[in-house]
Amino acid sequence: MLSFIFDRFNQALYGLKDNRRRTLLSVLGIAVGIAAVMAVGTISKGGNYLIFSELETFGLNSAWVFRDRGDKDPHRMVRTGSGIDNDDYLAVSSGCCPAVRRISAVLHGSIGKRIVIQAINRYSNAQVLGVDVSLTTIANDVVLQGRPFRARDIASRRAVAILGPTAAADLFGSASPIGRAFRIGNRKFITIGVLEEKSRDFLASIGSSGGQDANNRILIPYTTLQQMQGHKQISYLQAEAVTQAQANAAAEQIIAVLKRHNGRNYAYKSETMATYITTTARILDGVAMIGIIAASVSLLVGGMGIMNIMSTSVLERTREIGLRKAVGARQRDIMQQFLLEAVVISTLGGMIGLSLGTVASIVLAEVTGFPLAPSFTVIVIALVVSLAVGIISGYLPARRAARLHPVEALRYE
Amino acid sequence: MINLTAINKSYRVGELVLPVLRDVSLEVPAGEFVAIMGPSGSGKTTLLNIIGCLDSIDSGCYSLADEAVDRASDDDLARIRNQHIGFVFQLFNLIPRISALRNVELPMIYMGIPPVERRKRAMEALERMAIADRADHAPSQLSGGQQQRVAIARALVNTPELLVADEPTGSLDSNTGREIMLLFSELNQAGTTIVMVTHEEDIAAYAGRTIRLLDGVIAADDET
Repeated sequence: MLSFIFDRFNQALYGLKDNRRRTLLSVLGIAVGIAAVMAVGTISKGGNYLIFSELETFGLNSAWVFRDRGDKDPHRMVRTGSGIDNDDYLAVSSGCCPAVRRISAVLHGSIGKRIVIQAINRYSNAQVLGVDVSLTTIANDVVLQGRPFRARDIASRRAVAILGPTAAADLFGSASPIGRAFRIGNRKFITIGVLEEKSRDFLASIGSSGGQDANNRILIPYTTLQQMQGHKQISYLQAEAVTQAQANAAAEQIIAVLKRHNGRNYAYKSETMATYITTTARILDGVAMIGIIAASVSLLVGGMGIMNIMSTSVLERTREIGLRKAVGARQRDIMQQFLLEAVVISTLGGMIGLSLGTVASIVLAEVTGFPLAPSFTVIVIALVVSLAVGIISGYLPARRAARLHPVEALRYE
Repeated sequence: MINLTAINKSYRVGELVLPVLRDVSLEVPAGEFVAIMGPSGSGKTTLLNIIGCLDSIDSGCYSLADEAVDRASDDDLARIRNQHIGFVFQLFNLIPRISALRNVELPMIYMGIPPVERRKRAMEALERMAIADRADHAPSQLSGGQQQRVAIARALVNTPELLVADEPTGSLDSNTGREIMLLFSELNQAGTTIVMVTHEEDIAAYAGRTIRLLDGVIAADDET
């Protein structure tokens, strides 16, 4: 059996050697097609991975609850404020929501007017956020130097701050910021911690970093910020659900409590990381599909190249086919011979395309900064697809060859 | 060996039906050497192709070596050609890009003989044709006579009972033609049945029997 396959393979190679240049072009056509499909696949996979890993740093179980200022709010024109205050926060954090593991109040600093943030003669344009103890844990923030907030920082409205790496660098340069002082407006704060750098390549690249560059934040106790702003409002609640699947349940439970408190005055809505991830994944899949369809066109062209070379080859070798039939080749032998030639071309193209595609993926990953996500599946698919292209495009010419009448084939000039 | 009864064969050219063979009956016992002659258009090549199982018949019966050729399937015909018949053509019909040896191997590939055995038998066939020293040459590197020797080696390599030759000396000079005919005579004496189309009387003279076709019917059938 093995020698039989080898034999047929050899026959196919003889056929191809005869048309070396045309064979090469067909091989190239398939190679480019496979490489293109593969590069698109790898890039979209890398992009997916990158986005997922960036979203992950927000905490996969995260849910955000805030006032819905849209149609759902019966008093949106009348009532101002965030619709959440300290009493509400106390209510939701006192164990009423089983799907919530931890929760933190978040209060935006400097809405509307700009507050100067200054350390001696250096300035920062960081966003000030008032938070509770658990926020760093919920948002997957790592306090790299110093310490996280403690309950007492919040309770006694201490003027302490944890800086994002950009804010820390802006205010203190390369010196260690721990224990150093700076001003937010006219209030003096002491730095107690610095956050680890978060990768935001992708989010920044699509412009979503806007007002929330995670590396350019200054976290302070929300109680302190409330004192500075002179109210007891909370901008939104950020919660961590017990599991990712329960993120929506957690948000609903929080909203239920808020409604019980203020339902007549305000409406609320929520967002969860889970829905963000699903949405992003769907968009990315769509983009990848378009890319793959575009790349498939070049595969199609490659397939037509094979069909062309096989048709010409059948025509040129009509007498040979007649002779082979005269010495005992059955239809299926001739069919096999020409199909095998097509398959050899396309598989060769597939393998070259695989190498080209790998190189292209590496280069693209380098250029775009996407992580390289090599995949065994892609390799298998590339080879299977090229094999299929060979069989499909070789089929018609091979069948024509197989059906030639021996006498007419032998007489062909 | 060959048993043709009331064979009819016509070709369709557009609307026209052109009869080529009309009620041809012919018996060739094993071991005979038959020459088929006749003017062009008389149907001699068609008759040869039918005998060689390359062409089908419209009506009549044909049995070759006790196989009913007229009722055989496509695959059966391929097998019959492969095992019972060797072909020699005027233009040799060697595959140009492969060596003489590989050309001779061809019928054995379709017989399913393993490569080592194949090579050995192809070499033996070339030796019998006294052309073994050119086994590695491509057809284009060989003279006409040498090519025809390779082609005969290929025709004989599966040890067929019947050799079918269509103007085997048609593209050779008379000396080389004579050599090929001496080879045929030897083969015939060794037991191979030969049916050969030719239009040269001196070539036909090597055969023991000459059939003359005229307008699709056998006009004469002479022992010589």
